[in-house]
Amino acid sequence: MNNKLKILLVEDEQAISNFISTILTHNDYNVIKAENGWDAIKLATSHCPDLILLDLGLPDMDGIQVLQNIREWSNIPVIVVSARGHEREKVEALDLGADDYITKPFGTSELLARIRTAVRHSQKVKEDSHPDTDRIIIGGLCIDYDKRIVKVDDKEIHLTPIEYKIITLLSRNVGKVLTHDFIMKEIWGPYINENQTLRVNMANIRRKIELNPAEPKYIVTEVGVGYRMVDEV
Amino acid sequence: MQSGHLKIFFGYAAGVGKTYAMLDDAKVQFQNGVDVVIGYIKPDTSLDTMELLKGIPSIAYKELHTMQGTSEFDLDAALDRKPKLIIVDELAHSNYPGVRNRKRYQDIEELLNAGIDVYTTVDVWNIESLNDIVEEITHVYVKETVPDHIFDQADKVKLIDIEPDELIHRNENSVLTRDNMRLLREIAMRKAADRISHNNGIPTDTMTNSKLLVCISSSPSSAKCIRWTARMAEALHAPWVVIYVENNQSELLSEEAKKSFQMNVELAEQLGAEIATLNGKDIAETVAQYAKLSGITTIVVGKSRNKKTFRNLFEPDFEDKLISLLDNIEIHIIPDSEIKRKYRSYQMHLYNKRVSLSISDTLKMLLILVVTTLFSSMLTNLAVGNQNIILFYIVAVLFISRVTSGYIYGITASIISVFLYNYFFMEPYNAFQFLRKDNAITFFAMLITALITSTMTHRIKTQAELAEEREQRIEVLYEINKRLLITRGLSNIINLTGEYITKLLGRSVIFYSEDPIQGEVGSVILCQEDTTADFLQSEVERSVAHWVFTNQKRAGAGTDTFMEVSAYYVPVISQGNVLGVIGVSCQGGNNLNHSNRAFLRRISSLVAMALERQRLSDEQRQILIETEKEKMRSNLLRAISHDLRTPLTGILGASSAILENRDLLDQQTQDKLISHIKDDSQWLIRMVENLLSVTRINEDTANVTKTPEAAEEIVAAAISRIRNRFPKQNITVSVPEELLMVPMDGTLIEQVIINLIENAIKHSGSDKLIKVILKREKDMAVFEVSDRGEGIAEKDFPYLFESYVPDGKRTADSSRGMGIGLSICMSIVKAHQGKMEAYNQQEGGAVFCFSLPLQGGDKNE
Repeated sequence: MNNKLKILLVEDEQAISNFISTILTHNDYNVIKAENGWDAIKLATSHCPDLILLDLGLPDMDGIQVLQNIREWSNIPVIVVSARGHEREKVEALDLGADDYITKPFGTSELLARIRTAVRHSQKVKEDSHPDTDRIIIGGLCIDYDKRIVKVDDKEIHLTPIEYKIITLLSRNVGKVLTHDFIMKEIWGPYINENQTLRVNMANIRRKIELNPAEPKYIVTEVGVGYRMVDEV
Repeated sequence: MQSGHLKIFFGYAAGVGKTYAMLDDAKVQFQNGVDVVIGYIKPDTSLDTMELLKGIPSIAYKELHTMQGTSEFDLDAALDRKPKLIIVDELAHSNYPGVRNRKRYQDIEELLNAGIDVYTTVDVWNIESLNDIVEEITHVYVKETVPDHIFDQADKVKLIDIEPDELIHRNENSVLTRDNMRLLREIAMRKAADRISHNNGIPTDTMTNSKLLVCISSSPSSAKCIRWTARMAEALHAPWVVIYVENNQSELLSEEAKKSFQMNVELAEQLGAEIATLNGKDIAETVAQYAKLSGITTIVVGKSRNKKTFRNLFEPDFEDKLISLLDNIEIHIIPDSEIKRKYRSYQMHLYNKRVSLSISDTLKMLLILVVTTLFSSMLTNLAVGNQNIILFYIVAVLFISRVTSGYIYGITASIISVFLYNYFFMEPYNAFQFLRKDNAITFFAMLITALITSTMTHRIKTQAELAEEREQRIEVLYEINKRLLITRGLSNIINLTGEYITKLLGRSVIFYSEDPIQGEVGSVILCQEDTTADFLQSEVERSVAHWVFTNQKRAGAGTDTFMEVSAYYVPVISQGNVLGVIGVSCQGGNNLNHSNRAFLRRISSLVAMALERQRLSDEQRQILIETEKEKMRSNLLRAISHDLRTPLTGILGASSAILENRDLLDQQTQDKLISHIKDDSQWLIRMVENLLSVTRINEDTANVTKTPEAAEEIVAAAISRIRNRFPKQNITVSVPEELLMVPMDGTLIEQVIINLIENAIKHSGSDKLIKVILKREKDMAVFEVSDRGEGIAEKDFPYLFESYVPDGKRTADSSRGMGIGLSICMSIVKAHQGKMEAYNQQEGGAVFCFSLPLQGGDKNE
C-alpha cells in the first residue's frame, strides 16, 4: 500500500475530477482531490504528494498562484492542465517551475504517460544529484557527454558548438518541455531576445539528426511553447 | 465646444472710462467667484483704474525677442490657463511682428472659440465701417481698425458715455475739439442704437429685398465706396456684393495698383461682402448684366469730379451708361476726393506700359516694312500702279499690328510707311516730297487705317487672351471636378488635388487630411522648380496647419494670422467640419494674389465635396461590411447548431440506451455504443476547437497577432497530432531545405493544416496516400495538402469555403461539418493576408493549398 504514489488532483469540475481519479486509482495511484486553490495548498503541505495535477482555472484563485506558492517550499513535480490555445499561460507556468503540461481534452494514455515521465524525472533527480550518466540513448540517437559525440543509427553527426549545447540541454531534460525563453537564456545568456536564432539552429539540428525534419522523432515542437526531447521513440 | 461670450465696452473717445467700467464689472464678477484673469491692460491706464486690478490674477505679458522692450498679450498662456473670463484691453490693437496674429481681435476670436468669455474695450473710430467718417470729421487717420462683424456679433456692448465737457476736463491734452467730440459721441450712440435695432430684428418691408452692389477698381478711393456700402447694407439689413470688372487694362496694372486692389478686396471681405470678379470690355454693360441677373436694387459707384478729357466728350459717363442700361435701379455716386494724384500716376503707368518697346517686336516691324518695300519696288518694275502699292503698305501695317503688342508699332509703322512710300514710290523718286496734296491724303488715310486696325487688333488680342485665361481656369476647374468625381480613395483625391494645384500655381503643396497634432504627416506634392519644400513639414508649419484645423480659417503667409510662416493654408470645409487643410508654399515672400486665392478656394470647395462623398461611401461600405459580417455570423451559428445537433443526439441516445437497458444489452453492443459516444465526443471536441480558433481572429480588423514561426515546425506539429488520431494513415510530408520563417499565429495555422488533412482523409479513405508539401514560391510560403480520393464534386465548388450552404446544394456525404472546417480555414488564412484555393488533380484527387506571405510579420502584440 505504501508503495503507491500519491497524486494531488486539483480540479474544480466534478465530472473531470471523477474521471481522472477513476483512471488514476485503477492505475495504482493514490489520489487526493482538491477543488480549489486554498485546499490544494493545504493538502499539498499536509500530504506531501509525489505529484500534483493542477488545473489552471480554479474558482478561488489563479492556478498560477497555487504553483508559485508550492514552488516556494517544494520541488514536487507539477503537471499543469490547461486548454488549447492558451499558450502564453502554459509558457508562464513552465517558466514558474511547472514540470510539464497537458492540454485539455486529453486521452487516458497521454495523461498516464506524462505522469510516468514526470515521476521518473523527479526520482532521478532525487536519487543522485549527478544524474549525468555519461551517455543517453533514445531510439537510434545516442549522445555521449564525455566524448561530446552525437550519433544517429551509429553514424556520427557533426554539430556546431551551439547545436551541441542545445541538444545536450534538451537531452538532460528529456521528456520535459523547455520553453523558447528558457533555452535561449541557457544557451545565449540573459540578454538575447531573438527568437529566430533558436529556430534556425533547431532547423539545422533536425536536418542533421532526423530522417524527415517535417516528422521529427527525437525533438518535437510544442507550438507556441517550446521544444521537448522525447524519452522513448 | 460652446464658444465664449464677448462683452465690449464702447466709447466715443479715449478717456471716457471704458477701461474703468470694464475692470469694475470684472471685479464684481471676481467677487462673485468667477474665474477672472487679466490678460492685458494698456500701460498708460490711470492709477485709480489700476487700483481695481488688485487681487485679480493676471497673465504675464509675452516679451518679444524681435523688438527689445516690447511686450504683448500672451495668447497661448491664456489658452493654456483657460479661465472663465479674461480681460483684454484695446480690441483694435495691432500686434507687433513675432506674434501669431496680426490683430488683437483675432486673438480674442481664438479665446472665444476656446470657450473663454472676454471683456474688451473699443473706441468708435476703430470700427472699420466708420473709419472714413471719423477721418473726415477729425482729420485724424486711425490705422487700427476692427471689422464690424466683431462688434456686431458681440454678445453685449456697453456704451460708456460722458459729457464732452467733462471729457475735456478730464483729458486736457486731447487732440479732439469739443465739436469733434460731440460728433463722435453722436456716431457712437448711433452705432450702438443700430446694433440694438439690428438685434430687435424687425425688418422693414420696403427694405427686405434690397441688395447692394458696389463697383471697385484698384483705386484707393474704392475703399470709401466699400465702407459706405457696408454701412448702408447694415442699415438696410441687406446683402451686398463687391464687383470688379477685369478688362484688357487690368493686366497692365502696376504692382502698386495691384496691391491697393488686393487691399480693397480684403477690406470688402472683412466687412462681409460677397466678392465677384467679372470679365468684360465694357464695364457698364458687364455690371448692368450682373445687376440684372442677381437682382441688385442699388448700385454704388465712385466718381471723381475733374476727369475732363478729350475722350470724355464722346463717351458717356459710366453712371450715365448704367442709367441707360438699367432704368429701375438706384445709383449712388460717391465722390472721390483724395485720389487725384494716385490716379494720374496710374494713368502714367498705363501709358508707359503701352509704349513699352521690345526688341523682337521692333525687328518684326522693320522686317515686314523692308519686305513690303522690296516687294513693292519689284511691282513697280512690273509697272503696277502706285495706288496698289499704298494698299500693300496698309496690309503691312495691318499685319504689324497683328503680330506686335501695343499700339505703338502700328502707329510707327504707318508713319514709316508714309515716308517709305513717299521716298521710293512717288515722284521725285528717292527723295521726300510732302508738298503734294495727294501725299497728305495718303498720309492721313494710312495713319487712320493704322490707328484703327492696331487698336482693334490690340483689343481683340487682349480680349482673346483674357477669355483664354478665363476659359483655361474654368477648364481646369471643370477638369478637376471631373477627375475628382471618378477618383476613389482618400490618397488618390489628395494626390490629384495636389498635382493640379502644383501644376497651376507652380508651387509645392502640402495636404493634411487629418489634424497634424494627431500625427498626420501630410502629403507633400513637390513642384519641379521648387526643390526646397522640406520646410512645409517643419514644426512651425505643422502648428499653423493645426491652427487652421481648429479655427476653420485660412492662415499663413499673406494673411493676418501666422504671417511669418512660408506657406498659405486654406481649410477644406464641408458642413462645418474641416476635412483637410491645403498648404501652398509661398517661400521668399512670394505670396498668392487674389485670383490665386479665389482659385484655391474654389478648388478647396470641390475637394470638400469629393472628400465628403468619399466619407459617405466609406461609411456605406463600413455598413455593408457590418451587415456582411452579421450575415456570416448568423450563417455560422445556423450551421453550427445544425452540425452540433447530430453528434449530441448520438451521444444522448447511446448513453441513455446503455443506462436504461444495461441488463438487456450484451457486452458487445454496449462496447459499440460506448465507442460511438467516444467518436462523437471527439468529433465535438475538434469542432469546438475549430470554433474557438475563430475567436482568436480579431473582430474589428479581421486580423491576428502574428509572430514569426518556423513553418516546418507547425507542419510537423499538425502531422503528429493527425498521426495520433489516425495511426494507420499513409501520409508523406516534405519540407524545403531552406528554413521558412512565416509571421503567423502558430495555433491557427496548425488548425488549418489539421483541418485540411482531416478533410483529405475523409474524402480519400484511410488506405490512400496523402501528401503534405511545404514550399516557397517567391515571397510566399505555400502549404499544400493533396489526396488521391474522388476529388471535389463540380457542384460543391461554389460553396466549398462557405459556412452555410442552402439545403440540397451540398453533397450528402459532406454533411458532417466539413463546410465549417473549410470556411474556418478560409477565414484564418484571410486573416493572415494569405490566399487559399482548391482544385482537382488531373490524375484524380483534390488539392487544397494555401499560401502565407513571408514578410510583414509584426512582433508587437
